Amino acid sequence: MPGSVATELARERRRHRVFAETPLERDGLTLDAGAPVIGAVSTGAGVAAGFGDGRVRFFRADQPPVAVEAHHGAVLCLAAEGNSGFVLTGGDDGRFLRLSPDGVIEEVASFGTRWVDCVAAGPGVYACSSGRAAYVWRAGDAEAISLEHPSTVGGLAFDAKGRRLAVAHYGGATVWGYGKRRWNATRLDWKGSHNTVAFSPDGKYVVSAMQENALHGWRLRDKADMRMSGYPAKVKSFAWVGTEPFLATSGADEAVCWPFGGKDGPMDRPPTTCAYAGKQLCTSVTGLDSLDGVFAGFADGCVLAGQISTDAKMEDLVVKGSSGSPVTALAVTSEGWLFVGEESGRVLWVRLGGDSK
Amino acid sequence: MDQAAQVPVTVLTGFLGAGKTTLLNRILTERHGKRYAVIVNEFGEEGIDNDLVVDADEEVFEMNNGCICCTVRGDLIRILGGLMKRADKFDAIIVETTGLADPAPVAQTFFVDQDVADNTRLDAIVTVADAVHLDGQLGEHHEAEEQIAFADIVLLNKTDLVEAEGLGRVESRIRRINPYAKIIRTERCATPLDEVIGLNSFSLDRVLEVEPDFLTSDHDHDHDDDVKSISFVSDTPLDLEKFQAWFGSLLQTRGRDILRSKGILDFEGLDERYVFQGVHMLMDGAPMGVWPEGARQSRLVFIGRDLDTMGLDEGFAACRAA
Repeated sequence: MPGSVATELARERRRHRVFAETPLERDGLTLDAGAPVIGAVSTGAGVAAGFGDGRVRFFRADQPPVAVEAHHGAVLCLAAEGNSGFVLTGGDDGRFLRLSPDGVIEEVASFGTRWVDCVAAGPGVYACSSGRAAYVWRAGDAEAISLEHPSTVGGLAFDAKGRRLAVAHYGGATVWGYGKRRWNATRLDWKGSHNTVAFSPDGKYVVSAMQENALHGWRLRDKADMRMSGYPAKVKSFAWVGTEPFLATSGADEAVCWPFGGKDGPMDRPPTTCAYAGKQLCTSVTGLDSLDGVFAGFADGCVLAGQISTDAKMEDLVVKGSSGSPVTALAVTSEGWLFVGEESGRVLWVRLGGDSK
Repeated sequence: MDQAAQVPVTVLTGFLGAGKTTLLNRILTERHGKRYAVIVNEFGEEGIDNDLVVDADEEVFEMNNGCICCTVRGDLIRILGGLMKRADKFDAIIVETTGLADPAPVAQTFFVDQDVADNTRLDAIVTVADAVHLDGQLGEHHEAEEQIAFADIVLLNKTDLVEAEGLGRVESRIRRINPYAKIIRTERCATPLDEVIGLNSFSLDRVLEVEPDFLTSDHDHDHDDDVKSISFVSDTPLDLEKFQAWFGSLLQTRGRDILRSKGILDFEGLDERYVFQGVHMLMDGAPMGVWPEGARQSRLVFIGRDLDTMGLDEGFAACRAA
């Protein structure tokens, strides 16, 4: 805080709820990977997760997980190629990899001492970033097309059809549209550093998570700005959930969900909240497009399922109890399998509704 | 925050050719049994002898938080975050900056980014200076002054190439800019490791140990260095509200020119010493235990530009409790 002088010695004691281990947890597969879980994505029928020791693990229903020694350092990012089961990964060994669900590694590109910070996939197209450049491969291309930006790329995402690529960087984002056999840039300006980025499912909006405790959105039709601020911490995780759809976000003490339906999306509409786990930070969120609900992971390792509803407050369900280690990754499959990954390296893989084994 | 869990980060600054890479390789090759991660921002002639070297571009950006001089290093936020994801941890991180880097955004990154602050701590800013060329560089480049002003340690290198008189002159010029930095004279950066690594210079405990030589920070000087330092003492306790109002508005309006500030303050009605340290507009402060017997005295130190024009003397005097 600029120039402020605090005189209180003891900070406010945080009210904290501790959740006991749940029956669902006991029913699921648990695993101690021994390295931080850095991210997880649904691959359709299963989930792929990246770890801080360079491994990627594939989790599928009723099968033991398959571990792949993918990167030499840490996995920094991963993305699913639709529901094909393939995943793309980037690492601090400078390699951009494509992994098949049975563990075959294809090295798509290598950047030496430069990290591969972001990866993204769309139908018939995939991309990675290293430094200021994004590299895009379209189906059948041997060589990537390199797209340059004014500063290091903080986030990459394709729209649902794979025809546009959003790239977040300092000072805003660039949307590249494919037409007449080339990529054409449109700049979206907003001061500050922009990281994780995504198109809304209908392709009308682009949203980025910022270095500040806020999200920023642009309506692409007229480049109208949408400030989504008021978070006590950085927003590191967000997901499109439900039929509206809602943009569910971490960064507060519960899941904050912005409505993106209707003509103007979240403009002049307040977010709704759910999944409150006491006075602690929500660190990860996920959900399904068929369900107006959010799975929210927290700093103490618990996971709650909350219903997004404007009606009387619905009771949250405890999916996983407190473990003491922050939830760093969540993913759910359309068949109702949930993956929970912790900073400690502990993993839970469970069928919602029970009967995982 | 648990200090033991935070990885210490040492920042090496200095002009091209001063000997940063030589020092870096000395640190890395000494038999210490420690694992370092090294972040480099320019590939020099010399190779770096380490298995974990991260190549980055210095990228300074302004935070969108209304704080006009709150610039941070985006590349550091990204890379420190990435290093924390690794399963194999290391004992320390060393950041080698480019010759013309401004150290302020580096230091501010540790104040501003919560993840960086949670997982790492700034151990010290070590500036390698060329004893032959520093004199000329200080007049020519404001970056040289800033690197001296921000330093916790100034490694005055290549002393074998300068006669004693010239060395004394360069040292006193460093002192006028920054009387609080420790100056180490070296040839080819030969210095014991514990003089430059593991110093914990940015902890508030260390502010208590700062014993500025008040005699050397007098106001007359033969060089027109932009950057210099001023210190104040008061045996009369200060009024908390008056100080907050004065200091807050001082940092808000003149924070751009105040590079570093430190203080140990005696507030009326408070049994404990209030200790703070700041970089431009950002500051970190806390009560740090009761005063030693008979030692209650407020001390305040500024390093910056145009300090004469800020009315610091009158402003500080007006904070005394009535």
